[in-house]
Amino acid sequence: MNYADFINLAINGLVEGLVMALPALALTLIYGLARFPNAATGDFVAVGGFGGFAAHQLTGSLIIAGLGGAAAGAAAALLAYWLAFRPVIRRSVITLMLTSIGVGFVYRSALGLAFGHEPKAFDMPLQRAMRFGDVSILPADISLAALTIAVLVAVFAILFWTPLGRSLRAIADDPDLARVSGIRKERSMLAMWTMAGVVCGIAGTVSGMRTVVYPDSGWNLLLPAFAAAVIGGLGNPVGAVIGAILLGVLQELATPFTGFVYKIAIGYVVMVIVLLVRPQGLFNRVQQVR
Amino acid sequence: MDTYLLTIAVIVGIYVLLSLSLDLQYGFTGLINFGLAGFFAVGAYTSALLTMRAGLSPLLSFPAAAILAALLAWPIGRVALRLRDDYLAIVTLGFSEIVRLVLVQEQWLTEGVRGIAGVPRLGAGWGNPRFSEFFLLGMLVLCIVLVILFLRRLTASPYGRTIQAIRDDETAVRVLGKEPAVFKTQILMLGGAIAGLAGAFYAHYMTYIVPDLFVPLVTFYIWMAIIMGGVARLSGAIVGAVILVFFTEGVRFLRGVIPGVSDAHMGSLQLGIVGLVLILFMRWRPQGVFGSRGAT
Repeated sequence: MNYADFINLAINGLVEGLVMALPALALTLIYGLARFPNAATGDFVAVGGFGGFAAHQLTGSLIIAGLGGAAAGAAAALLAYWLAFRPVIRRSVITLMLTSIGVGFVYRSALGLAFGHEPKAFDMPLQRAMRFGDVSILPADISLAALTIAVLVAVFAILFWTPLGRSLRAIADDPDLARVSGIRKERSMLAMWTMAGVVCGIAGTVSGMRTVVYPDSGWNLLLPAFAAAVIGGLGNPVGAVIGAILLGVLQELATPFTGFVYKIAIGYVVMVIVLLVRPQGLFNRVQQVR
Repeated sequence: MDTYLLTIAVIVGIYVLLSLSLDLQYGFTGLINFGLAGFFAVGAYTSALLTMRAGLSPLLSFPAAAILAALLAWPIGRVALRLRDDYLAIVTLGFSEIVRLVLVQEQWLTEGVRGIAGVPRLGAGWGNPRFSEFFLLGMLVLCIVLVILFLRRLTASPYGRTIQAIRDDETAVRVLGKEPAVFKTQILMLGGAIAGLAGAFYAHYMTYIVPDLFVPLVTFYIWMAIIMGGVARLSGAIVGAVILVFFTEGVRFLRGVIPGVSDAHMGSLQLGIVGLVLILFMRWRPQGVFGSRGAT
């Protein structure tokens, strides 16, 4: 094990962290507006993965695959909002959380029934890794990381530079103040669920291209995404992204010592430590509980 | 046929214990435990390993299973219970997944995915296997009766009123000078102990345990059971467990009747039904099948 192996792991972790940042961002956005940790987030990712896979099968184009994934993710999120979450949105956290578990199960079941449980791989051309001494980088990883960064930049541009983003942040900050200021909550909600769905869908497509798509893939992404969002401070979009990238690199660097199976556990342990030391997350100010 | 009925009775009994555990935590105290399967697994593996590797009598291994599951609940309570309710859900869900990872990975102890075979039956030395199955059922029923009696006393006591007050208005309890996190941690441990006990019964009845028996779906089966049976009523736990077994057995029956359906498809269908039940009940009947409105 020399330094190059560690650099390789770190690069891989960086890409994984970027991919993980997308569902973590979706989770934290929904938490900010709807005030519950959405356990169906992972399954939106899986739906997006299959959407991207189907689009890629039909057209062979990677761009259309990304669009297909985004569309499928958005459809999954909006459908879930209209049919399941909206009717109970004013009820308790537990109602919303159990509903989100239910939504996740329904999507996973639908994916299993429609596509079967065999993992599916994107039909991608094999590429030689670029080598710099002992450090090697896959060209596909670079383009997927670039795509992910582009999506993140787009989401943050919407959040911080548009009127829509301003109203989203206002609702997240203080729902009552936002309402009396004349911000239409329903419209913002729709925009936010769409955005979360698009982000998840692209995450599904990207992680599907790096590995495989299968119905349970989303569930396996859920705990790391939770961990990343909690580490960054639930409801804090920037924190979620930084948390995910930190976690991605840390997980990969720890793999040689802990073994592959405990990868998920590392995120969990870091989350628990953060909850003990700084429960509001690394990047949040102390807030009043509402 | 009566072997089948016996199996059903034992499974109902184990689900009743799990439902009582979750009902104590969620129904009476308002704790969102999404990691019940983890405590269940710890109980099952603890008792199996203690009887097989250390040669302990089940008389000691069952309490040990309950105690270890309770002890594991303590740090979880320390971490999560001073925070908002939903953090407990995330932390417990993670806990149950980590338990499963440990069971898969630490093969020197748990045999990994191959699982532990040949867990001794209760009272195996005294007679034929039939006897030991009835003996286990008898002990299980006895245990359920004791747990129900205990919980009835507990929930009617001043302590019980405190935990229900925490569920209804945590701030009010704090104002009265009681620290809710302390009570919540105790309830989390007590519920963990009951789930661990259920796990011990499960291990010694099945005699073969693998990590896959303790997936998060099991946790949400029990959530489904207590929501359908009605939360915060001990009878609801029993009703819910019975409905749950009707459901799981019904699905198995259907798989036998409908030709050309694969196990994977049936598994997906089962998952989807659990999901739909959770969504529909939370929306339309959060008080359960037989509950009256306004109870929740």
